[in-house]
Amino acid sequence: MSARLDLRFAGAGGQGIVMAGRVLAEAALRAGRAATHSQAYGPASRGGASRSDVVIADEEVVFPLVRRPRVLVILTAEAHRTYGDDLAPGGTLIVDTEASDGDDGLVLPIVETAARIVGTELASGVVALGALSAAVDDTDLETLEATIADRVPASLRAANLEAFAAGRSMVR
Amino acid sequence: MKQSRLIQGNEACALGAVAAGCRFYAGYPITPSSEIAEYMARHLPEEDGVFVQMEDEISSLGAVIGASFAGARAMTATSGPGFSLMQEHIGYAVMAEAPCVIVDVMRAGPSTGRPTSPSQGDVMAARWGTHGDHPAIVLTPASVTEIFELTVRAFELAETLRMPVIVLYDEVLGHTRETVELPPRVEIAGRRTPRVAPTEFRPKEAGPDGVPPLPAFGDGYRFHVTGLTHDERGFPTDEAEVAGRLIRRLHAKVEAHRDDIVEVETLLCDDADIVIFAFGIVARAAKEAVMVARAQGLRVGLLRPRTIWPFPDREVAKITAGASVVLVAEMNLGQVVREVERAVAGNARVEGLFRADGEAIDPEEILQALAPDLEGAAR
Repeated sequence: MSARLDLRFAGAGGQGIVMAGRVLAEAALRAGRAATHSQAYGPASRGGASRSDVVIADEEVVFPLVRRPRVLVILTAEAHRTYGDDLAPGGTLIVDTEASDGDDGLVLPIVETAARIVGTELASGVVALGALSAAVDDTDLETLEATIADRVPASLRAANLEAFAAGRSMVR
Repeated sequence: MKQSRLIQGNEACALGAVAAGCRFYAGYPITPSSEIAEYMARHLPEEDGVFVQMEDEISSLGAVIGASFAGARAMTATSGPGFSLMQEHIGYAVMAEAPCVIVDVMRAGPSTGRPTSPSQGDVMAARWGTHGDHPAIVLTPASVTEIFELTVRAFELAETLRMPVIVLYDEVLGHTRETVELPPRVEIAGRRTPRVAPTEFRPKEAGPDGVPPLPAFGDGYRFHVTGLTHDERGFPTDEAEVAGRLIRRLHAKVEAHRDDIVEVETLLCDDADIVIFAFGIVARAAKEAVMVARAQGLRVGLLRPRTIWPFPDREVAKITAGASVVLVAEMNLGQVVREVERAVAGNARVEGLFRADGEAIDPEEILQALAPDLEGAAR
């Protein structure tokens, strides 16, 4: 059984966390690794806490769900209440400034940065990806950028890559 | 062909259906199955197929049955509440012998329940949800790749046996994205058409394997479709002997192909003192639990049904023959465990690990459930 890296983006609908998880998993595949993506959301069309989980492994991912993420990104206060305790001991916590509850982790203005650079909170996931890529050794910068570029509409490509870079620079 | 693209379980289901030649889909979108309808709505027109959004799930399966008799490979997909509404027409498809595929992506019930949460609570609904004595074929994939494979397989079984076939998986698998190995092309056996002249054709007359040939409506053969108990000509009957013959034939055609229909997968069961029986996403948790236990030198194995109905009782009996404990893990309060008990027939102790709160069972829970018995499983 190969070692696995479990990661979670937690937030609300409309913050781009599903896309961020898919980009992270697809970038891992491009880098020749195995990955799965799973998601959970509530029944309400607004509000509620959602999660977007990624497992990255060297070989097959046997069980695709994440229980105790080693990397946890939190973008809303409600997601903080729902998922804040799930972080694995010694794991990496990245929290949006507005969602922070006096956390020990990296507290960063992720949502605000997304709105400022791309003009929509939808890009919060991309900013979070940037921060995550700088905070976690086990990610590949080039494949992440290439995957983002492929995933977003051409008209928003430059803005999204800028948002990603802004996320990185918050951590470095 | 290994794709460097992640495919969602529900997308794999739709891809499998189209690959198997499905050209008609009627449905009413419902979480957590809606992505299947979305995919079909986008892609069936490209294949000269038809997508219809119906007013409800009753009419959805009705339209699917109609399309099937017109010659199309046809499917619908739903979840718990919609599956309940489809039960009447599932029985109709059994009786009228309409080849069709029904996908149930299980969510937490009963009733509206928790629409976005997984369960395995529909195992018995898939077997016995429609009334009367009837056979059922239900397939239970455990990965995104297998959702593709078993959707294709469902079409083959439906078409060759002239009956509804159900693909049953949980919300987790429906929404999980994994890499998928898609075959470059898929070919499946189709329905058998009549070899006799239209004047000699009797719509419900079967050969030795119990499956009557099926022309398409409009091919010039006499057509009679009914949910009433009927004779070989397709006409309703009140004769007990004819009625009994029909019901027994409907069962016999499944029994005659039983060994082809029933598929199980085993992992390290040969020397296992404990065998875990699990399907769907729980089988994935069980596989990881087996790997952890084996790394500690414990003789634990996994028996996983790809077909849950007909129940793989002979396989369970054979594979668990040397075990002292069989642990059945399922996301309900104990539906499959009784079937396993029946198959094990007292030769091993059968334990259950049940969860019905809308959360998936994980590997750790399975290992905890095994803990009291692990001493006996040490080498």
